Amino acid sequence: MSEIAAKAVTTRQKQRLARIVPYLLLQALIVIASLLGLRLLEPRDPDDFAVSEFSLREAGTTRPVTLPDFTASRYSLADPPLYSGSFVFRADGAGTTWSVFLPRFSNGVEVAINGVTILDSRRDPTANRPDRNTPEIAMIPASLLRKGSNDISVRLFVWGPLRGFLDTVYVGPDAALRPAFETRTLLFVTLPVVFSAWQSILAVILAIMWLMRRHEPVYGVLAAAMVLGVVQAFITPPVPPAASSRLVGVLLSSAPIESALIVASAVLFLGWRWPRYGVLLFVPGLIVIAGGLIAGPPLPRILFLLLGIPTVGFCLVLMAGIAAYAVFRRQDVASFALGCAATVVLTCWVHDILSVFEIMPNERTFVSRLSYSALLIAIGAGLTWRFARALNQVDSFAGQLVARVREAEERLKASFAREEARARAAALANERTRLMRDLHDGLGGQLISIVALSERGHEGATITDAARAALKDLRLVIDSMDDIGGDLMLALGSWRERAVMQLRPHDIALDWRVATPQGLPLHPELRPWHVIQIVRILDEAVTNAVKHADARHITVTVETRNDGQGPYGAISVADDGRGFALGEDGEAAGASQTARGVRNMRSRARRCGAVLELSTDESGTRVRLQLPQIFPDSDAAGG
Amino acid sequence: MTDQDETGEAITILLVEDDAPTCWRLQDALTKAGYEVRTAGTLGEARSGLAAGAPRVLLTDLRLPDGHGVELIRETRQRFPNTEIMVISALGDEESVISAITVGATGYLLKDAFPTDIATTVRDLVAGHSPISASIARFIVRRTQNSAEPPPGPALNTAKLTPREIDILWGIAKGFSYAEIAGHLGLSRQTVPGHIKNIYRKLEVHTRSEAVFEAVQQGLIKL
Repeated sequence: MSEIAAKAVTTRQKQRLARIVPYLLLQALIVIASLLGLRLLEPRDPDDFAVSEFSLREAGTTRPVTLPDFTASRYSLADPPLYSGSFVFRADGAGTTWSVFLPRFSNGVEVAINGVTILDSRRDPTANRPDRNTPEIAMIPASLLRKGSNDISVRLFVWGPLRGFLDTVYVGPDAALRPAFETRTLLFVTLPVVFSAWQSILAVILAIMWLMRRHEPVYGVLAAAMVLGVVQAFITPPVPPAASSRLVGVLLSSAPIESALIVASAVLFLGWRWPRYGVLLFVPGLIVIAGGLIAGPPLPRILFLLLGIPTVGFCLVLMAGIAAYAVFRRQDVASFALGCAATVVLTCWVHDILSVFEIMPNERTFVSRLSYSALLIAIGAGLTWRFARALNQVDSFAGQLVARVREAEERLKASFAREEARARAAALANERTRLMRDLHDGLGGQLISIVALSERGHEGATITDAARAALKDLRLVIDSMDDIGGDLMLALGSWRERAVMQLRPHDIALDWRVATPQGLPLHPELRPWHVIQIVRILDEAVTNAVKHADARHITVTVETRNDGQGPYGAISVADDGRGFALGEDGEAAGASQTARGVRNMRSRARRCGAVLELSTDESGTRVRLQLPQIFPDSDAAGG
Repeated sequence: MTDQDETGEAITILLVEDDAPTCWRLQDALTKAGYEVRTAGTLGEARSGLAAGAPRVLLTDLRLPDGHGVELIRETRQRFPNTEIMVISALGDEESVISAITVGATGYLLKDAFPTDIATTVRDLVAGHSPISASIARFIVRRTQNSAEPPPGPALNTAKLTPREIDILWGIAKGFSYAEIAGHLGLSRQTVPGHIKNIYRKLEVHTRSEAVFEAVQQGLIKL
C-alpha cells in the first residue's frame, strides 16, 4: 500500500471515528433522557387514601404485609393469595361516592368490601395482560359502607411464571381517586390503542407498498411485523383457567418473531443482504409457539420468559448495532432515526427486565410496549424520508432526462439542418452539372457553329437556323428549370408553342391530341433533367420530320395508359412523310445525321427510364415514347 | 396593303428598342405588314415620341439605356388609355412580361419571332386579342394557389380572377388551343381571347398608389 493510500485510509478512519463518537454520546444522552422521562411520567397516586397494611393468607399461612407486595410464583389458580385489610369510612353527609382504586396488579384481582365482591378484573380482557399496566377502579355501593371501619379483601390471581404483584390499594372518595385512574388509563390503555391503530395503518401502507413493489421485500417483511403487532394488540387474551384456543394464547407471545422481522427489515432497508444464519433469529419465537401448541399454558409463558424476552432484547441490541454501523458508514437520516429509536426501546426493555427481576424498585410498570412506538415513529419517518428522497431523485432524473432530450433534439435539429444544407448543395451541384452538359451539348455547339459560319462569310439561312436553334435550346433549358410540380403536361404546353412556331414557316400543321382527360399522370419525382430529355426527344422527332421526311402533318398524341400494372404516360409523334430506312438492328441507316438523331433519342429515353419505339415506312414515321411509372432518381445510363 | 383601324387611318406604332439590328428587323416586319412605325432607342426619345401624339400601339423593350420600360408603359397607360401596349422580350421570361402586364401591357412579342408572326401578333392585339404563352399562363395560375411562402417574382393580385379564367389559364399552360379550351369549358371559341384580355386587365394595377407600391415591391423604383 502506498503512503498516500495509507494516509487516505487513516483520514477516512478518522472521519468515521469523528462521526461515531458524537453519535454514541447522543445515544447516551437519549438513555438518560429516557430514564428521566420514565421517572417524570410515573403516575402519581392520591397517597392520602392509600391502604397498604394488609394481612396475607397464602398457602395456608397468614402474615401481615405492606403493599406493594410480591407473592410467590404459582401456576395454579386454585386457592389464590388473599389480602385482607380495613379502611375507615367517614361519611361527610354530602353523599360522596367512594371507590376502590387499584393502580397496578398482576395478573388478576377480585375485590370485596365487607364480604361483597365489587370488582373482578378477569372480566376486563386488557387487564389480564401483564405487559399492559391496566389500572382498575370500582365504585363501592353506598349500602355496603359502614360508618367507621370497613373490611376490604383482595384475591390476587396469579398465573406464572412471574410472581404475583399487588400495588398499594386506594380507597376514598371517587372524585379524589378518579384523576389518577384516568391518567393511568390514558397512559397504559388509550395510548397503546392509539399506537396500535397507527401500527395497523402502517401495516396497510407497507402491504400496499409491497404489493406494488414486489422486488423490495423490505416492505413485505415490515408489513408482516406490523400485522403481527396489530393482531397481538387487539386479540383478546384468554383468561385462565379458560381453555380457549391455544394459538390465541401463543400469538400473545409473538413479540420475538415481530422483533426478528423488524431486524430483518432494517437490514434490508439499509440495502444489505440478509444472511442465511439470520433465520436463527426466528427460532426462539417459533419454539415459543410450538411449545404453546403442544403443551398449552403455562409452558408458552415460561418459554416466552426464558426465550422470547431475551430474543427481543437481543434484537434490540442488534438494531442499535446495525443502526450505529449504518450511521458510521452512510450517515443518513433514516438509520440515524432508527438508531435513536432502538436506543429508547432498549433502555425501556432494560428497565422492564430490571423490574421483572425486582432489581429496580418500582411498581412493576412495563414500558417496553409503549416505547415500541418510538420505533414505529422511526420506521414511519424513515419510510417517508426515503419516499421523499426517491421522489426528489425521480424529479431530478426527469429534469435531467428533459434536459438531455432537449439537448439531443437540438443536436438532431442542427445535424438535420446540416444534412439538409448538404443535400441542397449536392442537388444544386448536380443540377449545375446537368445544366452545363446540356448547354454544352446544345447551345454551346450551336453558338460555335454560328461563329464558324459567320467566319466563313456565310449569310442568311444557315446562320439564321443555327441562331434560332440556339435560342430554342436556351428557352428549352430555361423552361425545364421551372417547377412544374410533376405535371409533364405543363412542360408539353410550352413545347407545343415552340413546335408550332418552328413548324409554321415550313407550313406543317401540328395536330395535338390529348387522348385521355388528364393527359399524363403526375410524377412527383420528376426533375428538370427528366423534362429536358423528354422535350429533346420530341424536338428531335419533329426536327427529323421537318428536315428529312417532307411531312405535311405531324400528330402528337398524349395519353395515359394502363396495362394492369399501374398507369403510365405515352407520347407519340407521327408524321405523314416518306420515312427513312432503318437498319437490321432497328437503328437508322443511311443519312448519318438521322442516325445520330435516333441514337440520341434512344440514349435520352434510356437515361430517364423511358422506352422509345420507332417505326418508319413510306407512309410516315412514328416515334412512341413510353414513360416510366416512376422516373429514376439518378442518371441511370450515365453520360 | 396598309393595315387600318376602324377610322380608316393607318395604324401607328411606336417601337422602343435600343439594339439597332433588332429594331431594324422589327421595323421591317411591321412596315411590310403596312403599319406606320416610329422608332425610339431610349426612354427619353420614347417620351418625346409620345408627346408628338398617341400611337395606336406601343411596342417597347424593358431594358433601355436611360431607364426601365415599365415606367414608359405606366405613363402611356395613364395618358393614353386607348393605346395598346406590348412588351418586346428576348426570351419571353415570365417575370419581365408579368411586370409589364401589371402596369398596363396587354401583350408581349418575342424578338426572334418570324416576321409574319410579328405582324399577326400586333394585328390580333389591335383586334382585342392578347397573346399569352403557356409559361406565362402557368406563372399566373401558380400565383392563384395560396402557398405559405410567396414565390419569387412580381406580386400579382390574382384574387380578382374568376374560376373560369383560371380554368382557361390552366388549359393554356397545358398546351391546349383556344378551340380545345372552349370545347372543354363549353364556351364559344371567340370568347376565349376576350377572357384572356380580361385577365390582363385584371392583373393591371389600377391606382397610382398601387402602382407605386407594386413598383417598390418589384424593385423597379428605389425610394
